[in-house]
Amino acid sequence: MEKVMVLLRKAPYGSVYSAEAFRTIMGIAVFEMDICVGFADDGVYTIVKDQNPEKLDMKPLGDGFPMLADFGVSRFIVHKESLSERGLSTKDLVLEVETADSEQFSEIIEEYGRLLPF
Amino acid sequence: MLYTVNDSSITSNSLDSLVRFAPKGSPILFYEDGVYNTIAGSRDEKKVAAVLEDHPVFALDADLEARGIKKIIPGIQVIGYDGFVELVEEQDVAPWL
Repeated sequence: MEKVMVLLRKAPYGSVYSAEAFRTIMGIAVFEMDICVGFADDGVYTIVKDQNPEKLDMKPLGDGFPMLADFGVSRFIVHKESLSERGLSTKDLVLEVETADSEQFSEIIEEYGRLLPF
Repeated sequence: MLYTVNDSSITSNSLDSLVRFAPKGSPILFYEDGVYNTIAGSRDEKKVAAVLEDHPVFALDADLEARGIKKIIPGIQVIGYDGFVELVEEQDVAPWL
């Protein structure tokens, strides 16, 4: 099975990157690939609970991620330091994730070989 | 002048730069991704607390709600678009992009 890692490093709403990452994951999930979704730096904000961008006239981005399991996407990795330096823990996130320190995170990037950056 | 910040101090130097230039007492507003600077327990909480000693600090509620931010650093005043408009009417604006 082909492997690919999608890496989110940007905050949601301030730019289109996170929304486009989600669209890309949906798009490639139909090809039955082994997809890993990684969150580092401001990308960890994408999956914070209780997002409500109604006043910005936008759709909540975090809510979509738990549903990706229905499309066979079930490996989610969060960079531990990115989370902690932002005052967040895995309890603040919308889905169950694996956490990885910098070394483990880069090993996963190497393992997947193909990286789609957002 | 009202100084406005729209990105997070962890990924941008806007806030560091701003505090170097903004005169004591001038109000600072966090909006868009700038509201990430308000999170209690974050790496830069002390930096923001120091800013609060010298400036009134505001954060826009729509951007906080959008991003699911609930625990904010004490002393930061949450305002709506109406409050934003009042601040802009009271003084000129220096957007620290």
